[in-house]
Amino acid sequence: MTVRRIIVEPRGLASLRLTLTVPLLSVLAALIIGGIFLWITGDNPLTVYGHMVDAAFGSSRGVSETLISATPLILTGLAAAIAFKMLVWNIGAEGQFLLGAIVAAGIAIAMGDGVPAVLAIPVVIMAGAIGGALWAAVSAVPRVYLGTNEIITTLMLNFIALNLMNYLIFGSNSPWRDPLVSTFPTGRPIPDGASLPRFFNRLDVGIFIAIAVAIFAWYLVNRTRWGFEVRVVGDSAETARYAGIQVPRKILGVFLISGAFAGLAGALFVAGPVGALDPRSLDLGLGFTGIIVAALARLNALAVIPVAILMGALNNAGPSLQSIGVPPEIVTMLQGAILIFAVGGEFFIANRLRRPELPPEVLAGEAAA
Amino acid sequence: MRTGNLRRFIALLLALAMVAAACGSDEGTETTEAGGETGGDPMKVAFVHVSPVADKGWSWAHDQGAQYLAANMDVDITTLEAIPEGSDSQRVFEDLAAAGNELIFGTSFGYMEPMLAAAANFPDVTFMHATGFMSSDNMGNYFGAAEEGRYLTGIAAGAATQTNLIGYVAAFPIPEVLRGINAFTLGVQEVNPDAEVQVVWTSTWFDPPLESTAAQSLLDANADVIAMHQDSAAPGQAAEAAGAKWVGYNTDMTEFAETAWLTAPVWDWGPFYLTTAQQVADGSWQSEAYYGNMADGMVDIAPFGPSVSDETRATIEERKAQIIDGSFSVFPDPIVDQDGTSRELGDIFGMDYFVEGVIGSPTG
Repeated sequence: MTVRRIIVEPRGLASLRLTLTVPLLSVLAALIIGGIFLWITGDNPLTVYGHMVDAAFGSSRGVSETLISATPLILTGLAAAIAFKMLVWNIGAEGQFLLGAIVAAGIAIAMGDGVPAVLAIPVVIMAGAIGGALWAAVSAVPRVYLGTNEIITTLMLNFIALNLMNYLIFGSNSPWRDPLVSTFPTGRPIPDGASLPRFFNRLDVGIFIAIAVAIFAWYLVNRTRWGFEVRVVGDSAETARYAGIQVPRKILGVFLISGAFAGLAGALFVAGPVGALDPRSLDLGLGFTGIIVAALARLNALAVIPVAILMGALNNAGPSLQSIGVPPEIVTMLQGAILIFAVGGEFFIANRLRRPELPPEVLAGEAAA
Repeated sequence: MRTGNLRRFIALLLALAMVAAACGSDEGTETTEAGGETGGDPMKVAFVHVSPVADKGWSWAHDQGAQYLAANMDVDITTLEAIPEGSDSQRVFEDLAAAGNELIFGTSFGYMEPMLAAAANFPDVTFMHATGFMSSDNMGNYFGAAEEGRYLTGIAAGAATQTNLIGYVAAFPIPEVLRGINAFTLGVQEVNPDAEVQVVWTSTWFDPPLESTAAQSLLDANADVIAMHQDSAAPGQAAEAAGAKWVGYNTDMTEFAETAWLTAPVWDWGPFYLTTAQQVADGSWQSEAYYGNMADGMVDIAPFGPSVSDETRATIEERKAQIIDGSFSVFPDPIVDQDGTSRELGDIFGMDYFVEGVIGSPTG
């Protein structure tokens, strides 16, 4: 019998139907594989999946918690999406997130209680975005003018940002640290005036800001001249240069906006659910998760919103699965399986598998055999 | 034709998923209802731990307490492990309260404020927080005088050292840890006034490779006994490999380093958990800050390793009896600090200095 090879080839432009069904199928495949594991370890997969849906969306508190977890992920997802779109590999959203949190908390504490909320909140939010953008600039400027590798610099700056936060709280008596608590170092609470107002359980207005920023980012990339030029640079820097686009300035701009999105996420997180520069509440890898969100959303700013909500749901469902007796290791494995399959599905959108057409006589010969 | 099949397959899977979701939510509601009816059903109690309970350290000790509770009372226990501290944990506590748990224990310091917020939203549920200082009408806190065990294990270390240098791998420079180091050092110097205790900070409760590196740095500095305020057995394994001795923490960790093992301050949370659950069940529970000790059994020391001499064992047992009957207290007042100056003991819960004989900085 002849062995028929399978050829992998890049697909030109994937159809809309394909871009929608493949991720769906990937998630279903992950649920089936995960289900087999659950069944082997003695849990009923249907009960477990039902419980996940119920925990994330089954009650008003569940929904609000899911949206709380989604808010920073929308913004860190956007940070990665807009940068990757132009082949700027900013994997420093984690550090830019923390710097945004540090600057936002610092400004909020410095302003104190006297400033009215209408002024304090916008200032704190802008401060976070600027903090994130400046931290991104530390990588962006050498990238643009000296050609340094931004993957390495952004990655390393993540650790510096984390240690800076730890120093401010654990290693020093900085203004960020709460002087009233001697038992264990914690962040000084953000004044009420600078805290984001809550409107639905613990959910605060940060979710609206995140969604508005996503719409803005989509408009910026897809409907403005600036965005068009960014996309041209992403497709081919050579072409962009021939077309008279100032590539270095575009790269710098995208890098800073990317950092600003991540910094904004940090600001909304400290002024919202956390309420202080608390390392234990902030060191959750939200910047890194943003990269996964961006990849699953195919770098589309609007798609980032539902993907971030799903990631938030997946995150929140974890502990509640333990309460029905699923071991934490299996929960982590299940979450990982869903992500791997979803990202793996990307491959089939970007590429097609094809069996080469064989001449009729070979086919006839095979049929005879 | 093929696409038709594919579409049908997807539709089937989707339907299946929806059925699953429906079944699941039905069951979820049932559980909540069952939790609401108290008649005859066992009381639902939940435990939330920061590390996996298999760590054989802090969380494991609490889980042993939970098992003691389960063995002595008709309760339905839910255990959540590896739940990060910080604001995100409020959701976890509220989920447990919404699922019908009547008593919820959080066993790590960083759960304090999130638990306080959750307690305000669920006033009918009793919350108990270990190691913190905040409380409310339906949230109490509890901890124990580990310094009593630390002092006794210091005696074992002081008797064991030949180089007169004892290494101490410590997590964070906070009063709880400083208190332990000071009590330990006083114990060391009771039997060996020449010995000193050198401290290395790790900035983590649980990170086995880092704990091991920290222990190694102390061994390299000529320490021949390693003590620790950490949750893993890694410092002990480093000590065993170097032929040094080891004072553990939290639980009897003999199995990890049999020759190095001296003893350890250990916790017994079981009886306290049982009493608390009984009080909640019969309605007599009241919010308080409970500080257990050696006399009530919350604090103890682990069985001795083979190298601890009979003489040392006798000294320790004698001191232990005095601590239990109240005739000996670990910290003298006034107390001599690291610089050799005599000072008032003050509030031990805010202790921010080292006693004489400790090498290192009490601010990290």
